[in-house]
Amino acid sequence: MVIVKRKTLTLAERLYLPEILRGLSITFRKMFQPKVTRQYPEEPLPTNEVTRGQPRLRELTEGHLACVSCGLCEAACPAYAITIDGQETDRFIEREPERFEIDMLRCILCGFCEEACPKEAIFMSTELELAGFTRESFKYGIDKLKRSTEELAPRMEYIKRINERW
Amino acid sequence: MAETRTFDYMPAGPGDLQVDRDDPLHGELLKLNMGPQHPATHGVLRLQMVLDGERIVSCDPVVGYLHRGKEKSAESLGWRKFFPHTDRLDYVQPLLNNIAYARALESLAGVEVPQRAQEVRVLLMELSRIMAHLIYLGTTAIDLGAVALFFMTFTEREKTYELLDAYTGHRMNNTYIRMGGVYADLDEDTARAIRTWVEAFPAKIDEFEAMLTGNAIWYGRNKNVGVLSRADCLDLGLTGPNLRGSGEEWDLRKTEPYSGYETYDFDVPVGTVGDCYDRYLVRIEEMRQSAKICLQALDRLEKSKGGEFLLEDRRYVLPPRSSVQTSMEELIHQFKIVTDMRLPRGTAYSCVESSKGELGFMLASDGTARPLRCHVRAPGLLNVQAIPRVAEGRLFSDMVAIIGSLDFVMGEVDR
Ligand code: SF4
Ligand code: SF4
Repeated sequence: MVIVKRKTLTLAERLYLPEILRGLSITFRKMFQPKVTRQYPEEPLPTNEVTRGQPRLRELTEGHLACVSCGLCEAACPAYAITIDGQETDRFIEREPERFEIDMLRCILCGFCEEACPKEAIFMSTELELAGFTRESFKYGIDKLKRSTEELAPRMEYIKRINERW
Repeated sequence: MAETRTFDYMPAGPGDLQVDRDDPLHGELLKLNMGPQHPATHGVLRLQMVLDGERIVSCDPVVGYLHRGKEKSAESLGWRKFFPHTDRLDYVQPLLNNIAYARALESLAGVEVPQRAQEVRVLLMELSRIMAHLIYLGTTAIDLGAVALFFMTFTEREKTYELLDAYTGHRMNNTYIRMGGVYADLDEDTARAIRTWVEAFPAKIDEFEAMLTGNAIWYGRNKNVGVLSRADCLDLGLTGPNLRGSGEEWDLRKTEPYSGYETYDFDVPVGTVGDCYDRYLVRIEEMRQSAKICLQALDRLEKSKGGEFLLEDRRYVLPPRSSVQTSMEELIHQFKIVTDMRLPRGTAYSCVESSKGELGFMLASDGTARPLRCHVRAPGLLNVQAIPRVAEGRLFSDMVAIIGSLDFVMGEVDR
C-alpha cells in the first residue's frame, strides 16, 4: 500500500504568474517537437496482414469461390450479417453459394466468420473504408465480395501462422 | 470486518428546503436538465437538478439512454457470440471486458488457462487500465479547462491503440480473447514495441503531473470537492479508484488475486481525504504501477516464449486450422463449437479489477448453448449512484469535476 502524497501549493504556484510562464514554456517546447497529427484521409493508416478489415470471399479458381456454403460463418456471426443460400454444382467441391450476402452495416469486423470457416474461403481484407448513399448498397453480394487468392494471400498465411499451435 | 451504516440518503425535494421562498433574496428554485447531450456528462447521462442560485439542491441521475439490452442479447446469442458485445460495454477498455467475460466462462466450465495466456492477459489488462485512466485524465482535464492536457493524453492513448492494432488488427473493440486463452500469441515485434512504449510512459506521466498536480486551477477545483467518506463508499458499493481514494485498501488484484497477480510486484495506492484530488492522485499512481506490472509481464513472456496460449480442450476451443482441413474429427469439433458450444449446468460469478472498479459477470447455465441469464456487475452504474451524494449542497460548477472524477462510461452503465 502506498498513500498518495497530497501537495500543498508553493508560493510560486499560488501566485500563478510564474506558472503561466512555465506553461508557456511547455507550449513553446511542444512547437518544435515532431507533429503527431495524421492528415486522414490524405494520409491513410498503414495496413498490413494483421489488419482486420471487411470480410471478403476467396476465389479458388477463376470465377469460382472456395466457399462450399456450409453456413458455419453464418452461424458464427454475432451480428447476423451473413445470409447464404446454397446450391449444388458440378465442380469437385459439389456445393457453392447461390447467394452470399454480407450486410456491411451490420458487420462489426470481429473476424468470427474467418475463424469459423473450415474451407479457407472467407478472410478479413485490408479494406476499411465504407461509404454509400442507400442502405441497400451496403448489402454486398458475391460480385462485390469476391477477391482473388493472391490478394488475400498475406492474410491467409498470417492466419495459418497464428493458428500453428505446437 | 467493515463497519456498516444505515442508508440514510433521501434526495431532498424542493419542499424540504428550509428557506423562505418569499424572501426576495432567495428567489425561485430552478429545475435544470444537464445532458443527455451535454459534453461534460461523458456520454449520455442526464442529470435532473434543482438549483438554488448556483447551489445544487437535489440531483437525480437518469440513466438508460444508451440501453442496448446487452444482458438480454446474451440469452439469445450464446456463449461465444457474446464476446464482441462485451467490448462495447466499457468501450475504453475492450480487452479487459473480454477477459472478465472469458474468466466467467472458464470458471463455469471449470477449465484452467495456460500460463502464457495468463501472462498475455495480465499485460493486456494493465495496458487497458492505462488506456482507461488516460481517457479519465484527458476528459476530466478538458472539462475543467486544461485543453492542452487532453491532447497530450490522447496522443499517448493513440500510441496504445497502435500497439493493440499491431497485435489484434483493430484499434478499438478488439475481441481477441477466447475462452481458454487468447486468440493469437503475442509476437515478438509487438512485445518489443509495447516494451518501448511502456518504458517511456512514466516520463509522460511526470509531464502530465507537472501540468496538473501543482496547477492552482486544477488544485482549487478538485481539492475538497466531491468528498466521499469511506463509509459512504461502502454504503454505495463503490469499488476501484473511487474507494481507494477514500482510504480503503481494496483491490481485487491483491485481495482475491486472479490470473497470477499474486506473483507480480506492485503497490496499491490509496488516498486520505476522498475528494476529487485524491482520486486523481490515486489514478496517476495506478498508471505508474500498471506500467510496472506490464514490464514484469513482458519479462515473463520472454521466458515463456513458444508456450501454449490457448487451451487444448475440444469441448470449448476451436481446433487449429491445419487439422480442420485434414481430420474429420476436428472438423466435427469445429462445427460443434461454433454452432452449439455447451457449458455445464450451474452458475458462476467471476470478477476482475477494472479501471472503474469491480467488473463482474454472473452467468447462469442450464447446460445448453445459451446462457439462462447473464448479469454484468458494472462498476460504472454504482459510480453514477454516488453523484447525488457528493453533489448536493455543492456549487453547480463542481458538478463537472465530480462527474469526471467518479469516472464512468455510459456504455457500461446502461448496457
Ligand atoms: S464457413 Fe466458409 S465455406 Fe462455410 S459458408 Fe462460410 S465462407 Fe463458405
Ligand atoms: S466479421 Fe464478424 S460481424 Fe462481420 S460478417 Fe464476419 S462474423 Fe459477421
